[in-house]
Amino acid sequence: MTKIMINPITRLEGHGKIAIFLDDDGEVSNAYLQIPELRGFEKFCEGRPAEDMPQIMQRICGVCPEAHHLAATKALDNLFKVEPTSTAKKLRELLYSAFFVTDHATHFYILAGPDFIMGPESPPAERNILGVIGKVGVEIGKKVIQTRQQNHWVIQTIGGRGIHPVFGLPGGVSKMLSEENRAKTEEIAAQGVEFARFSLKIFEDLVLKNKEYLDMVLSDTYTHRTYYMGLVDENNKVNFYDGKVRVVDPNGKEFTKYSPAEYLDNLSERVEPWTYLKFPYLKKVGWKGFIDGETSGIYRATPLSRLNASDGMATPLAQEEYEKMYAALGGKPVHHTLATHWARLIELLFAAERMLELSRDPEITGPNIRNIPTETPVEGIGIVEAPRGTLTHHYITDEKGLIKKCNLIVGTTNNYAAMSLTIKKAAQGIIHKGTEITEGLLNRIELAWRAYDPCMGCATHTLPGELPIEISVYDADGTLIDAVKRF
Amino acid sequence: MEKTLVLGIGNSVLCDDGVGIRVATEVGKRISDPSVTIAEACQGGLFLLEAFLGYDHVVLIDAIQTKGGTPGQVYDLQPENFISALHLSSPHQVDFTTALELGKALGFPMPSSIDIVAVEAGDVTTFREKFTPEVEKAIPVAVEMALRKCPTHINHIRED
Repeated sequence: MTKIMINPITRLEGHGKIAIFLDDDGEVSNAYLQIPELRGFEKFCEGRPAEDMPQIMQRICGVCPEAHHLAATKALDNLFKVEPTSTAKKLRELLYSAFFVTDHATHFYILAGPDFIMGPESPPAERNILGVIGKVGVEIGKKVIQTRQQNHWVIQTIGGRGIHPVFGLPGGVSKMLSEENRAKTEEIAAQGVEFARFSLKIFEDLVLKNKEYLDMVLSDTYTHRTYYMGLVDENNKVNFYDGKVRVVDPNGKEFTKYSPAEYLDNLSERVEPWTYLKFPYLKKVGWKGFIDGETSGIYRATPLSRLNASDGMATPLAQEEYEKMYAALGGKPVHHTLATHWARLIELLFAAERMLELSRDPEITGPNIRNIPTETPVEGIGIVEAPRGTLTHHYITDEKGLIKKCNLIVGTTNNYAAMSLTIKKAAQGIIHKGTEITEGLLNRIELAWRAYDPCMGCATHTLPGELPIEISVYDADGTLIDAVKRF
Repeated sequence: MEKTLVLGIGNSVLCDDGVGIRVATEVGKRISDPSVTIAEACQGGLFLLEAFLGYDHVVLIDAIQTKGGTPGQVYDLQPENFISALHLSSPHQVDFTTALELGKALGFPMPSSIDIVAVEAGDVTTFREKFTPEVEKAIPVAVEMALRKCPTHINHIRED
């Protein structure tokens, strides 16, 4: 067979384009992150039965189908004015906690870990999961894969399918949990708790005890004072599945707390001519451009944001870690973008502990898994926390339940303005007059961005599966003077 | 008994992005053999590694976009065609090659053969359930190629 080498470009517009503009002195004046457009989603949904939304919505993006499935299911509860049974809510949250365990574990070990475990300046060929297991041991790699597999089993068992669950229905779920599967889930959850504690220990040993890394985490290059958003329960504790959306200001004071129905009173979306994606911002503060601080409506919705926006964690071990993090970083809120990695591991522990609690709940194997809707649909809103931020689904239907209009604010979109700020600041800290644009520089800028775990509905699978990034640098006249493409 | 996985990857509501899933489904209609599993996935990287575990042979079907490629072109590929993609971890997932290397490094029993059928996509950014005409025409070609990739012991292939 003739061997051919292909040079994939993945998607014509399917990559993050970062454009950096220099001023007359060769310093960074502006940086833009352009995100590819996926077209026609609203039109695609129009006229379809609302009941199809939990299936369709989770195909928007291959990275977090479970989040879209549950946000859509909760929007249907609201649309058909039906309260799910207690067992159904717990089963939904149990599946969702297992999903958070897989997602957060993957991010830390596969995506964030290489920067810290191998070092941000290490050669690209080593700065990946292979380098990580070379350094910390093959057993850890096996443990990561095992954790993912076990929790995928939980998702498949409760959700009915490995990818794209089919269990969410207005008013409940489609299947009860057997005692045998409950017992296995409990075992997996207990192992998840240990795995999360072990991961926090690795983070402490490799990052917190390494002065160079800690300085990087605390450096101004990776710091922004913004508002923070996250779902909280009735005690203002972090909750991924349900509650009210709480926003705190840059000083940590509660700014607003709203139920899903009030999201449009609190958020607006800014359109910029250079990108397809809209920038959500806090309506009551207003859009002041790409600046941080109390006068700017830019907010963040990330694992760190959720911890900042809450009064603590609802499970004991995660609460201990929460207190430890804020004590170490000088109190609440924490504004250091790279501390998001620490917060993510605390959430990993919370998700595993919550799984354990729910798997031991006597109601979890109960037969009462659905209330049948009887009301005429008009409008429904559902909110969950996706791993990457608060996820809002909003549907308006006719009286037959056919979609007339739908609006989504997805996890990554919340952070679009903040990511743009982050990139600009990182570029300003790194590029100066005469700086040569190198692969290492690309990584230093990308490192800030990676903390947000951005998901762009692109490069989720297309071969070879790497999200390509292109950084272009323009001089004061707008002439392209340097570019790095990683695809 | 050796086990074979025919795995279509993609997004079935994003125009040509879903071609891998469609081809895998068509392949499934032509095979009735207990040793063959037809499946779909929406992500690459580690998901692929995990999906491969326990199989001796894998036929992967996906959309691809290449420099200067013609929509509808069908490629017959091997994992080593993507060796150049082995570098950074991405903000999303590890790439295909890294996932396979990881499986080997962890000592997992990896399939003895991994074949890839890739279809050059025209449009992967519009939400619709129909393919572009060029990709629609390429489906039978890709199905035949995927069937040829299945191990020779599978003799339950039905002719259309």
